[in-house]
Amino acid sequence: MALEFKKVTAVVSEQMTVEDAEILLDWLIKHPRGRINLSACTHLHAANLQVLMAARPRISAWPRHAPLAAWIKAALTP
Amino acid sequence: MNPLLDQFITEGRDILQTIGERLLQLEDTPDDSALMGELFRLVHTLKGNSGLFDLPEMTRVLHAAEDLMDAVRDGRRPFDRPVADRLLEAMDFVLALIDEIGDSAEAAPPNTARHANDALELANALRGLLAAAQATTPTATETEPAATPAPSPAPAAMPLEALPSRIQQELTQRLEAGEPLCWLTYEPEEECFFKGEDPFHQILQLGEPCWRRVSSREDWPPLAELDAYRCILRFEAILNTPAEALHEHFRYIPEQVRIIPLQPPAPTSASSSEPPPDAETTWSFNVVLEAQREILGLTDNPPWLSGRLRAVATTLEAAFASIGQVVERDALEQALHSADASHSSQPLLNWLDEQQRRGDTQLPTAASPPGAPAEDIAPPPEAQEPQEPIKFGRRAEDRLAGHTLKVDQAKVDRLMNLIGEMVVTKNALPYLANRAEEVFGTRELAREIKAQYGIINRIAEEMQDAIMQIRMMPVSFVLQRFPRLVRDTARKLGKEVRLVMEGESTEADKNIIEALADPLVHIVRNSLDHGLESPAERSAAGKPTEGRLTISARQESDRVVIEISDDGRGIDPDRIRRKAYERGLIGEPELERLTDQEAINLVFAAGFSTAEQVSDLSGRGVGMDVVRNAIACVNGAVELHSQLGQGTRLRLSLPLSMAVTNVMIIESAGQRFGVPMDRVAETVRVARNDIRTIKRRLTTVLRGRLVPLVTLNDLLALTIEQVPNDDDEFAVLVVRIGADHLGIIVDDCRETVDIILKPLGGVLAGLGGYAGSALLGDGSVLLVLNPRELL
Repeated sequence: MALEFKKVTAVVSEQMTVEDAEILLDWLIKHPRGRINLSACTHLHAANLQVLMAARPRISAWPRHAPLAAWIKAALTP
Repeated sequence: MNPLLDQFITEGRDILQTIGERLLQLEDTPDDSALMGELFRLVHTLKGNSGLFDLPEMTRVLHAAEDLMDAVRDGRRPFDRPVADRLLEAMDFVLALIDEIGDSAEAAPPNTARHANDALELANALRGLLAAAQATTPTATETEPAATPAPSPAPAAMPLEALPSRIQQELTQRLEAGEPLCWLTYEPEEECFFKGEDPFHQILQLGEPCWRRVSSREDWPPLAELDAYRCILRFEAILNTPAEALHEHFRYIPEQVRIIPLQPPAPTSASSSEPPPDAETTWSFNVVLEAQREILGLTDNPPWLSGRLRAVATTLEAAFASIGQVVERDALEQALHSADASHSSQPLLNWLDEQQRRGDTQLPTAASPPGAPAEDIAPPPEAQEPQEPIKFGRRAEDRLAGHTLKVDQAKVDRLMNLIGEMVVTKNALPYLANRAEEVFGTRELAREIKAQYGIINRIAEEMQDAIMQIRMMPVSFVLQRFPRLVRDTARKLGKEVRLVMEGESTEADKNIIEALADPLVHIVRNSLDHGLESPAERSAAGKPTEGRLTISARQESDRVVIEISDDGRGIDPDRIRRKAYERGLIGEPELERLTDQEAINLVFAAGFSTAEQVSDLSGRGVGMDVVRNAIACVNGAVELHSQLGQGTRLRLSLPLSMAVTNVMIIESAGQRFGVPMDRVAETVRVARNDIRTIKRRLTTVLRGRLVPLVTLNDLLALTIEQVPNDDDEFAVLVVRIGADHLGIIVDDCRETVDIILKPLGGVLAGLGGYAGSALLGDGSVLLVLNPRELL
């Protein structure tokens, strides 16, 4: 399980697979003000990226992995 | 190059040629469904084969061709000229690719990513015919169908201007510094997630871009309606990566990306102020070019060739620069590189031709100013006329012959026989030299003949070697069936077996390799059936449940050695003795006397089987004796070693080739005989006093070992005594019979010669004891003994 859901924050562990996209989408639909902690994330599948771009949740922590952070920031902050 | 790829190239050329023929036949008889079916199968086969390698471009084109043919076969599209034209073009393209792969010296197929665009265009053109057919009714396709390639999702031209000025500035600087910046637009197809693709991963792999943007191709729907698995992402980036590398990166999905190399913006003042080259410059340019052409045309191959090529390349670049024509440095560099590698100036000449052809269209209007927009130099595929057929045919027509000849084996055999005769005939020269010296007394002439003999000898040996090479085949030819055979057999027997094969590339003569096939199957089956235990037995014996069967091949001097070993239960010598006794193969005294190794060798006796019951695999008593005889037929030897509980090892040793035999000439009773050298262990002189008689058999002691002796005259039923030399010593030829040594007393041992052994024919064919006959250099016939049968 790549996602750990706390009260209002989803904490993403290292890798988010394509299956996680659906779970993330469900959670974001249920928690419209939910925040995402990506700090431990080293890669997320493009489907997850798509969900994040569509939902635009608040990111409580950007990935520590710099190249990934750069791309996600580019995707979420046009 | 690996053998699989080699085979693919050879087969591919054959298939393509057949496809070409069938296509032309089909044009005459478009309704021949059998022909169409065959054509479809051929293309299908080729596509399947290409899929074995990393050749997405080839596979793509063939796949499209297959689709089109499928439609034609099902009558959804009539077979007409456009279809034939497109298919022929596609096949030319594939042939060009195959040639390119064949030319490369590397083990892996070379990268063909460069052709990704061509492949895409061709595939689209083929698909276009298909689409046209579906759109129009079959009767209306008399007219040329519009071959519209599927429009690629082309966003507007680079909106460089839309970028923030800071980035624009930076880009300009970097471009001027010569960095190969590329604009990449990547729009993954909607279903890509279901194909296991991760576009984001692809993008991340590219490294840090200078600029990036991630957007969606459609507006995002409300979250509740969002389909997370329909990809509508669009990635854009400007990367400091050469376009070829990007094409390579996306070579499996070229239709989803657009890669545009960026060019530095035209320096506003420089390009307009630069005058077009005047007549004088053009004249000197032409002179320089002619001179370089002449240099490239030189056919000698000096050691400084590489330096010369480099000089020419530099001169050419400078010359083109002098008339303001932009030279693609990469292409030049590449031409230089391949010229260097192939030690010929051809690639550079080609480049020069290409450059001039391009120059011809450009020069009249003076050179194009440097810094023209990218599109002017390399128009993107979309810009091309859709109706313009893509020509790949030139190369296919240029090359008439392939690289591989298929030759009837009989022709090679004839060559083989001829060189054999040659080898023997050249042996007459030393005789001639001796005669010149002894009979005619001209030592000078004798020496000259010997010198000539040396040269002819060298050439003949080289020629023989070359012809042998033609007949050489890798052992893998017979080994390749074993993985399947072992797997199936092991499964049938309920055993777990791991097959390890080593040295499959070891080569030997075709006849030898073919003679190996059946014995090897026997041996492997024996190992699986008798040698390796069931998993339960193995774990009880403290071995891993998975048995190990190793087949290794290697070359040892002039022989191929093949070892088949298993780590099974081994052979129990006592059991063999008992069985052999039960079957009457040995008598009571031998039962006690046989050593363990001798007992084990009993498995080679005819009619021997230890299996308690006959299975459909082995145990019918037809086995190891057949193996030994088959191997002996090609002058091979079999050795069996076994350690009870540890495993069994069979060692087959075979000659590399069997065309020319090396024999030792011996004399006995005034006649000359030959003995194959591979039987001869040594020749010694034994004094009459050292020969003892034990139980009426002659023996002698050689280096502390007792060696039985026989006289050749006895063996040949001649009643003449062997003649000793002046010191009363006999010449003894020690030969190997199986694992034993035997001394044969002869009158004299002479030189060794290479001969072609011809089996005795006709009435003489039934004579045992002779391996065959051969013609000697002086015209006399030499009978070659077979010591094993003589006894």
